[in-house]
Order: sequence, then C-alpha cells, then structure tokens
Amino acid sequence: MSEAAPAKPLPFPDRDSQPFWEGLRAGELRVQRCGGCGALRWPPRALCHRCRSFEHEWIALSGRGRVVSHVRTHQVFAPAWRDDVPYEVVTVALDEQEDLQLVGRLEGARAEGGLPVRARFVQVDPEHALLHWEPTQD
Amino acid sequence: MRDRVAIAGIAWTELSKNSGVSTLTLAARAILAALEDAGLRPDEVDGLATHRVGDSVLPPILAHSLGIRDLRWHLDLFSGGSVSHAVVGQAALAIAAGVADTVVCYRAINARSEFRMGGIGRPLVDAVETQYQAPYGHFVPPQQFAMAARAHMLRYGTTHEQLGAVAVTQRAHAVHNERAQQRKPITLDDYLASRWVVEPFRLFDCCLETDGAVALVLVRAERARDLRRRPVLIRAATWGSGHTLYANQQPDPSTSAAAAMAPRLWSQAGLGPEDVDVAELYDCFTYTVLVQLEDYGFCRKGEGGPFAASGATRLGGSLPVNTHGGFLCEGYVHGLNHVCEAVSQLRGDAGARQVEGAEIALSTSQPGYVSGATSALVLRRGP
Repeated sequence: MSEAAPAKPLPFPDRDSQPFWEGLRAGELRVQRCGGCGALRWPPRALCHRCRSFEHEWIALSGRGRVVSHVRTHQVFAPAWRDDVPYEVVTVALDEQEDLQLVGRLEGARAEGGLPVRARFVQVDPEHALLHWEPTQD
Repeated sequence: MRDRVAIAGIAWTELSKNSGVSTLTLAARAILAALEDAGLRPDEVDGLATHRVGDSVLPPILAHSLGIRDLRWHLDLFSGGSVSHAVVGQAALAIAAGVADTVVCYRAINARSEFRMGGIGRPLVDAVETQYQAPYGHFVPPQQFAMAARAHMLRYGTTHEQLGAVAVTQRAHAVHNERAQQRKPITLDDYLASRWVVEPFRLFDCCLETDGAVALVLVRAERARDLRRRPVLIRAATWGSGHTLYANQQPDPSTSAAAAMAPRLWSQAGLGPEDVDVAELYDCFTYTVLVQLEDYGFCRKGEGGPFAASGATRLGGSLPVNTHGGFLCEGYVHGLNHVCEAVSQLRGDAGARQVEGAEIALSTSQPGYVSGATSALVLRRGP
C-alpha cells in the first residue's frame, strides 16, 4: 500500500474574512451586505467598492447558483492532490446576485456551463470547513 | 512622454531549464551585454528598474555588484508579468522627468530550477484572495487562466482548435529564433494529442517555465541618436487595472483588463491597432493571446479565435504576433523578453523572422488577470 498523500492546506482566514469561514463551519454560506447601499459583495473586504461604507452585516444566502466556468485539473501540482486528480473546480454565480462568484470543488457531476448547483459544507477537521458544490435539480 | 525616451540596447542571457547560476549572475550578464549593445559603460548607469515576486536578487545588491555608486533612481516593483511593461514605462517617466539619464530595465529569473510560479507551498502573505482557492487545489497559474479561458469558450464559442492555432503559429515562428527552447514545428494534431494539464489547457497551451534574464537600456531620444544602435522610441506607455481572483467588481473574465486600457494607449500613441506592424502579446497561455487580439481592437469581441485560426497572426499575415515564438516557445522571462523582441523587429535585426519594414510595434504585459493590474507599450522605429 502506498503512503497517504500529504495534508492539504487548510483555510487561512484574514481579519476581514473570519466570519465567512465561521459560516461554513456552521453550515451557512455567509457574505457581507453593505450597510450603506445594501449591495452584496465578494470576497470579504472591509468596505464597499460601490459606496465606500465600512458598515456591513453578514447574511446567510441560499447557497444556490449556477456554474459560469470550470476547469478539470489533471496534473499533480502538489503532492497533497496526488490521489485527487483529475478533479473539477467550478466558478459559481450565486442566485441572489449574478456578480457574486465563488470557487469550489464540484462533486457528483461533470461540470458544464449553466449547471445548477448548491453548496455543500464539508467539515475537514473540528476547526475548518470547506465549500463544495453539487448538482441540484431545481 | 511621446517619443522622448528611447531603448538603446537590449540583451538576453541563455534561456534554459537550469541556468546553474544565481539570479544575480543572470541579471549582471544581461545588463552588461545590453550596455555593450548600446555602446555605454556600466559606470554611466544611474537607474535600475525591475519587477519580482520574491524570486530574484535585490536591486541594491546588484547595483553594488555592478559598481554603481550613486543610483539616482530605482524601482523594485512587486508583481508578476502584469507589471513587466510598467517597469519600462516607469523608467521612461523617470528619464523624461530628468531624474535619471541611463536606466537599465531587467528581469532575472530562475523560474524552472528555483522558484516556480504559483509558489507551491509558498503562499504570499499579501495575496489574501488565495485563501478562497488553495484549499480546493486551485492555486497555480494554469488553473487560474484555464478558468478565464473556459468562460470565453462558453460565452463566445471559442474552440480548442483556435487555442491550438496560437500554439502552432508560435512554434512556426520559433523555428527562426535561435534563442527559443522549443523549435520543432508542430501541427494542430500534435497540439490536440498533447496531454491535458488543466482542461481546457493542454501541454502546448502552457508557456515554458524558464531560467534566464533580459535587459534593456533606456536613454533620452536625442542622446540615443549618437549611440551604437538604431534607437527604438517609446511612443506610448500605459497602466491599467484588472481582475483579481474573485472580486465582484469585474465578474466577467472573458474580457481582459486590456479592453479598458487600450483606448488610452492608442490615444496616447496617436495611433490605432491598424497602424501596428508587429505585436508581441503576453502569452503565459494561448488564451491570453486570443483575448488580447480582441481587447486591443485587432478584431471584434469574441472573434479572437477565428482571427488566430485565419493565419492573420503568422509571419507574412496581416498582424504577425509573437514573432520570437513567445513564452510558449522562446521562454518565459515574465514579460520583458516581449519588449526585447519588439525592439529587435523595429531595429530590423530579427533575421529570418523579420517583419519587413516594421515601424510600429505593440508589446503587452499580462492582461490583468489574478494581479488586478496590467501595462503595455507602443514602440516606434527611431531615426
């Protein structure tokens, strides 16, 4: 039996993104809603690029969207992914706002443009959860 | 700034998979050779400019090594290929402003044997957006650019064969470039048979990670007239913004940052895409060539694929592109080797790959993906 692949890197939150990662751990896809103009934004940042307000709240979204781009990695770029290739990573535009585009692993289907997907929260250890995507019928 | 500053000398080191020497050695070799090309002495240099991503010699150490005692101007720009042409633009500003007289722009890199792009296991502390990709195994340039390429394919119907046309064309050009690391011609079938790296990219969509250095010597245009080589004038230099990895300010990756910057570039040059005789377009991957053909205005949006497949970008075509074979075949020196090739074409010393009578060249940096910045130059054959 071959040796196990090295561990994959864990999320490394910064001071602006901590609530996003906490949301994944709680099973929610949370983004910031601007307190000034109400726009949703991604990725987490300290102020709104539309109205420049620093005020914001974190809200949970439906976790539904559709695939707007996708790649399938065949080459092993680091040993941690040795046993994963080939794997698919997708960019998903969220239903709530088209320009919120998040990246994650797709599981359970071959990726294609327009594929409806929903978020799945994958606990990788007691402290960390990741965002995966899976196909959905509705 | 138009036509006030000239590129008076250029040089390359050997380009290889393993230089066996330090980036200090590579930089010094290229700089001394470029000064020799210009007919200038090392002690005349009063400015140095480069860009790095934590992978190359510190410019002050290089200045000490070259015996430059009074560095009147310097620039150490932290970023990748997206600022490669900004390095030359900044140096031209410094000369035009009278802050320096003789500036050498260079890039020295052991990108194959020492520090590979994507920094496997080496996250950059200030690249906070990588936190949203690295845990999913999505962290190297082929993955990031493949995502943009796929978006273009979905939106405009761009095909694998059209990406392949870029690879085949550039390989045909590299046959005539003794510096190129890949010089054996390939067919579209060879391209389609090459292995997947990250779909939609195959092996031949990807540039050659390279060890090597290039350097360019800049002086005032009137001074360049008295030097050894025919001067090449900096007609226009522009800076632009771009996509970061995920920000929702620019959600559509099928249009690059060049689209917003190009009107400024052409306006500053007093020229348009129809005036360009030869274009050296940043080609970390085949896709960036297609999108820049559109976004600099050489064809309509979405038609970069058909344009490349038509043969227009070949030597002898209406717009020869990447006449040295580009990063795909000559090697990836992170951007400035495109400027060197443009200069060579405009001086008329490009040998078997010379574009007859070339007077105006476009040379571009990475068109803004990942880094959120871009830059470009229009160059003109001098008197």
